Amino acid sequence: MTELQQPLSQLQETSGPLLDAQKMQFWMDKAVAWDQVGSAQTLKDISRHLRGLTDFLQQVLTQISNTGSTAETMKELPCLGQILGRLCWNPYVTVGDTNRGLLLQCLLGLYSENPSNALERKANQWIRKVLCRLATEDDDPAAQILMKSTGVPPKEYHLRVLKKMVKQHQENIEKTCCSKKSIDQRCSCDVILTTSEVFVPLLDCPEASPVICSLLQRPGTSFTDALSEDFLDALNSTDLRLAVDETALVSVWYHSLPRLEEAVLDLLEFATSTGSAPQNLEQHISKTQLPKACAHHCSMFLVVNDIFRSILKQAEGNLAVHSVIQTFTRCFLKELEELQPRTAASLKAFFPQSPTSLLVPLLTLPSEMPQEAWKNHLEWLTASLQRLAEQEEEEEGDSQSSRGHHNVFETWFLLVQCSHWVQVAGELLVTSEAEPCSNLLWLMTFYYHPTNRWHCRAALLEEAKEAWRHLRTLSSASVRPLPTDHLQPLITLLSLKPQRPSAPLLTLSLMVYCAIFCQLPHSQSVEIFQTVVHAAGLLHEAACVLNSLQHRLNEGSCSSRDTVHVRIKKLQSTVTHMQAGVNPHTPHNRG
Amino acid sequence: MEAVLKNVASAVELLAVAAHSDAVSQWDEQTLSRAFQWAGYCEHVYTRFHTNSAIRRVVEKQLQHTNATLRDAFADYNEVSFMDLPRCEHLLLRALLNNPQLPISTIRILFGLKNGTSRRYHYQEVTGLCSHLIQCKSACEVLCPFSGLSTVSAEAEVQGEMLMKRLGALLSQGSDPSQAEHFLHSSLPLCEGAARHSCLVITAALLTASDSAGQTSSQSFLLDWLQKEHGVLQHMGSTLPSAVLKDLAGAHRKFRDAYFGTLKKWASEMEYSLSDGEWVPACTAAAPALSFPKMVEHFSDLFDACPSLRRNAEDELLHLKILDGDFDARGLSVWGDILSEVKK
Repeated sequence: MTELQQPLSQLQETSGPLLDAQKMQFWMDKAVAWDQVGSAQTLKDISRHLRGLTDFLQQVLTQISNTGSTAETMKELPCLGQILGRLCWNPYVTVGDTNRGLLLQCLLGLYSENPSNALERKANQWIRKVLCRLATEDDDPAAQILMKSTGVPPKEYHLRVLKKMVKQHQENIEKTCCSKKSIDQRCSCDVILTTSEVFVPLLDCPEASPVICSLLQRPGTSFTDALSEDFLDALNSTDLRLAVDETALVSVWYHSLPRLEEAVLDLLEFATSTGSAPQNLEQHISKTQLPKACAHHCSMFLVVNDIFRSILKQAEGNLAVHSVIQTFTRCFLKELEELQPRTAASLKAFFPQSPTSLLVPLLTLPSEMPQEAWKNHLEWLTASLQRLAEQEEEEEGDSQSSRGHHNVFETWFLLVQCSHWVQVAGELLVTSEAEPCSNLLWLMTFYYHPTNRWHCRAALLEEAKEAWRHLRTLSSASVRPLPTDHLQPLITLLSLKPQRPSAPLLTLSLMVYCAIFCQLPHSQSVEIFQTVVHAAGLLHEAACVLNSLQHRLNEGSCSSRDTVHVRIKKLQSTVTHMQAGVNPHTPHNRG
Repeated sequence: MEAVLKNVASAVELLAVAAHSDAVSQWDEQTLSRAFQWAGYCEHVYTRFHTNSAIRRVVEKQLQHTNATLRDAFADYNEVSFMDLPRCEHLLLRALLNNPQLPISTIRILFGLKNGTSRRYHYQEVTGLCSHLIQCKSACEVLCPFSGLSTVSAEAEVQGEMLMKRLGALLSQGSDPSQAEHFLHSSLPLCEGAARHSCLVITAALLTASDSAGQTSSQSFLLDWLQKEHGVLQHMGSTLPSAVLKDLAGAHRKFRDAYFGTLKKWASEMEYSLSDGEWVPACTAAAPALSFPKMVEHFSDLFDACPSLRRNAEDELLHLKILDGDFDARGLSVWGDILSEVKK
């Protein structure tokens, strides 16, 4: 349907290759063959060619609109009238929205407002007649008699008959397939197969949706999927918005990989294209049904994660993507919790590539363990990660080093999915009194810069320490108002420097944690935050960090957190104000 | 009431204009929409008053008057009757599409193709009305070959419902039952080709479980009518599969009795053919007729479906056999032969 929404002028620009005589003959032969509808073979043939027919009709329509007059079009495409005429009366063609729309548009396109010769006048007459007959004629005389004597108009009659037919099919499916205990599932498979074949042309017919949803929600047998191949192919390409409701969506994804990919990419686009990080991200993700679907079908979760992996590799430093992945994983884990108790074995199925020893420790939420245990837990985590990173470095130069890289990447990916521990690290950095916190800093550096390209990790760590020192100074200073030159080093750190490796995102998030958790009076920390972030221009990223922190804290709510929430909210509104204040013509900041 | 009559008259005039006048070339989308609203109004009038025979007569009188005027004004004028009122939208659409003066842009609107894009049809709207109609009809055609899923096809079921609803409305008016009978006659033709269809509709109407007193009395009326109309019963007996006939007999006592009567009538019209060694329908027997084995099968099925009938029926057949001379040899009494076959 989306093609049809392009205005006519666009169609003219995207005109494909001219329709040649061979193609016309092909479709002429098809149209004639399909007139002999009745055999299962014909139905199969039609189902297979529906998509091709759409393309053909689109090309015809383009040619009609490009060519000036109907007479010319008829000369260029000699069998056109016959083809269109036959297709009009083929219910398999006219039942679907897309093909019917195109067919009617072709017919109306051939109508000449000012006919200049006999051919065009005749074409006009013919078109009017066909349209009238299509809409008002009924070839069932007995039914017509009844309609007249009982006062039921044809529209109501046909709609009622259609609904009843759909209902009968649905009852047929339920009747033969309801017993899950039946070992012999062959009998029900035949019903599913035949019904799915029958309903291929009806995929974009809204009245057929109850049956289509029923078909999709049958549990597939492990060896053969009962749905017909043509049905599955059509699922990939038809506009299903009208025919399938939300609960059946999950089944569509299960049967159609392209559809699943489409849904995930839509989600990513939503999250990353709005100007500011969406605050209702969790709600939005839940609403898409994707986490629930993944909890039910391990294979889907694996596909979704593969998509996330490739997006991550392409979009380095895009905090919005990190947010999506983290929030998605959290939603997913919640749904999974409802289905089955969490065991290491069951989790392994969902995270096959992640190092087993780290799986449960990382997936455990901070709210699931006492606060006092956090530090030790993080120390253990950091130590494990450091070991892994060292292993990778050792293997460098070795032609087999790809495995090391792979391990580090997978570990880092798992860390992204479980960013809650990184957030805890940031929080502890600020709140703990003890000075030596280099392992926490290491963790955060690793999170933002997993690759040790050019062996820069040491340099980055140094920069992180420097940033940390500045922040520590600022937060313990009690001089008001703060002299601006104290802030300059931070601002410098926050800007990307092309010559040497730099860690602006890391510095930014340290800033944010400081602003939230430090002992300074809130107004002061807001002021610092505002000045620095504004000067560095990292509004969007700051918003991302704030939002994901807020999401996590929304989970375990205890009263001592209220002040934290207040601080976060204040910072968020500050960021929003700044974004509004920034040049309003920048589309980036205006969502 | 006067206002209603005036409106109906205006709507009928509008129909005539839509069909015959070139004024439609000036109709814009709004006028078109309003015209369909008028059609909707007529349907509403029908719905409200079709059970009220007094008001119906008044409306019919107005229609006659309007028809007369319009007949003078337009050459090929088609009269509008009271029973046309509920189908006004269809009549309007047909009138418009047949009118060569209707601008192509208006046709585009009706097919949901304004501005080169396809718009979805919303019930009660005008845009995309034709497209929606085509879709429904096509969907029915696509699904039709597979409608052997239940005892009766979806079409027969819907037609049965329509029949019963109208019958119920006629009966509730307390009017002359001959009107209802006339309705059944005209709705269920028995001529060549139509007979089978009518049988299916009746079957559907009778097999639908009755969920109201009104529906039960309609079914009862239909059964009474069937009993009088042997022709219909004979058609049903010869065209419907025995399983269906069993269901019908099991569901309605009146049907069981009427059907038994028809079978007996058939049997009584049989003669024994010495050359064939078999009972055959007499040449004078009314068509359609059953072969002897078929008839025995029907008797058996009937008794299977209605065990309560069996004893009395067998007694009756025995009585008839005795009247025929009580011979046990084959070929002398159709009743005896039927009995012996059935008892096997």
